[in-house]
Amino acid sequence: MLAVDVKNIKKTFTSKQDTVEAVKDVSFQVEQGEIFGLLGPNGAGKSTTILMLTTLLSITDGKASILGIDVETQDKQVREKIGVALQDTGIDNLLTGRELFFTTCRLWGYNKTDSEKRTKELLELVGLTEAADRRVKTYSGGMKRRLDLGLSLVHSPEILFLDEPTTGLDPGSRRVLWEEIKRLRDTGVTVILTTQYLEEADELADRIAIIDEGLVVAEGTSDELKASIGGDVITFSFETEEDITKAQQVLTDSVQEKMELRITVEDGASKIPGYLKELTTAGIEVSSVSASKPTLDDVFLEVTGYRLEGSEEPVEETPAPTRGRGR
Amino acid sequence: MESNRSFLTQLQILTKRLVLRVIRRPLAELPNIFISAFFLFVYDGALGGVFGGSAQGTPFDFANGNFVNFILPVSIVSASVSGGASGIYLVEDIESGVFKRYQSMPISKWAIILAPMLVGALRVLLQAGLIMVIGKIIGADPAVGAVGYFMVLSIAFLWGMGFAGYSVAAGVRSGSSQGAQAASFLFFPALFLAPTFVPREALRGWLATASAYNPTTYVIESMRAIMVDGWVTDVISKGYIAAGSFAAITLTFAVISAGKATEKA
Repeated sequence: MLAVDVKNIKKTFTSKQDTVEAVKDVSFQVEQGEIFGLLGPNGAGKSTTILMLTTLLSITDGKASILGIDVETQDKQVREKIGVALQDTGIDNLLTGRELFFTTCRLWGYNKTDSEKRTKELLELVGLTEAADRRVKTYSGGMKRRLDLGLSLVHSPEILFLDEPTTGLDPGSRRVLWEEIKRLRDTGVTVILTTQYLEEADELADRIAIIDEGLVVAEGTSDELKASIGGDVITFSFETEEDITKAQQVLTDSVQEKMELRITVEDGASKIPGYLKELTTAGIEVSSVSASKPTLDDVFLEVTGYRLEGSEEPVEETPAPTRGRGR
Repeated sequence: MESNRSFLTQLQILTKRLVLRVIRRPLAELPNIFISAFFLFVYDGALGGVFGGSAQGTPFDFANGNFVNFILPVSIVSASVSGGASGIYLVEDIESGVFKRYQSMPISKWAIILAPMLVGALRVLLQAGLIMVIGKIIGADPAVGAVGYFMVLSIAFLWGMGFAGYSVAAGVRSGSSQGAQAASFLFFPALFLAPTFVPREALRGWLATASAYNPTTYVIESMRAIMVDGWVTDVISKGYIAAGSFAAITLTFAVISAGKATEKA
């Protein structure tokens, strides 16, 4: 049985002023025990998709099921099966980590003795035992994310939804969380995560769906997506706008990225001398040239036509800059 | 593990969490207690000399010689406004995303909404009870006997729940804790367009008319009957009816508003 089956779901928000199609047409399937990444910029529709799958938003059109249970009509049964850590699910800062775990255990139906036992287990699992009796407001961003992850695991869910789990974390905290997510996958938990970090998708996800403007524009494993570009990426750099404009007439299949032109060809290294000769003959000065295997970054550029700006290293507590089409 | 807990157990767990929050912010409780106690001391100090024991045998003897009994209901009504914190608790949870976390779990939405109202009710009982203890210390003595304290507290509870309902409705409709705090702004006209310092018969002109339409009037008069006059059942029952109706109307409004605001978009 599929862990998640999403068929042509749409989400439209209608207000007096206007109508916004946050998710236009999204379909994907997730096998049990895999990590599935939804990669895209802010406003692409990732979070809206997750909110629909976690029963927190209604689905305007299409069908979605979790372990064969219909998301729209059987939301209570779906909630029993899933763990959720969303960007905007909050943590009560006035309580301690231990109190939060205990309260959440009790709400999930554990009795007091079992709640104490489970609280202890989860505090150890997310490495917060020493900070257990401190109020959450004293926790760092990384500790709060680990607490959030732990709270979503209280009832041992079969499927875990993580919405941008590492946004705003420093690289060290991110890596700790990645290891924990991989460990969960290894214990059989299916993880669906959204991210705007290419490195995160590449490192964590068994399969990736690139989502842009409410549509899935590419899907596959990281290697499949890279292979879909075909061949190598040759990058030419130029000093002047005039050179780059003229070079575009020579390299007609190229994609411009600032002062660079990128072209995807088979056996790139062997073709560099020929391209350089053509450019030099046309009186164009090339400042540097290189050939490389395609990255996820190249895939993103290829399928969306722009680069994912949020892919750089994030800074603790400060969300990384993105294209700013917040939705 | 039971997958489905009872509504009451969920309500109890969520209420306990909010009580912990209240305990962790003791300073947030002080302003309302301070204002209520301030009313009691200042009004007794300023007016007790004129309308208290020395007024016996004069036309101004409406306090039956004990002005604390007469003015205590004003402070109790002031303390009961603390029920307005209910809306703030709920909106804080919505703003912080805690509400969404609970919504993603298989627990009752109504338990999430009613827990802050219940904490508001406990807050009313605590604050009104404290003011009553202060009143007792400085000389309050209900005309109906010790049961009068519980009667006054029960009216205060209903009145406070009315403010709780109003603040929850205002909070979820405005979507901000400022909206919930608006409940306290209703309090001042409600308190002062009423026979706050003298009996209604002594009010004149527009204020006499306004006070007749103000439910606070009947709540204060009911408490005063208990404290000053004794078993004047028609006056006492009007207070229960006014406070109970206020609570029923605003709580219904709150439940409808909160239900709509938390529906799936």
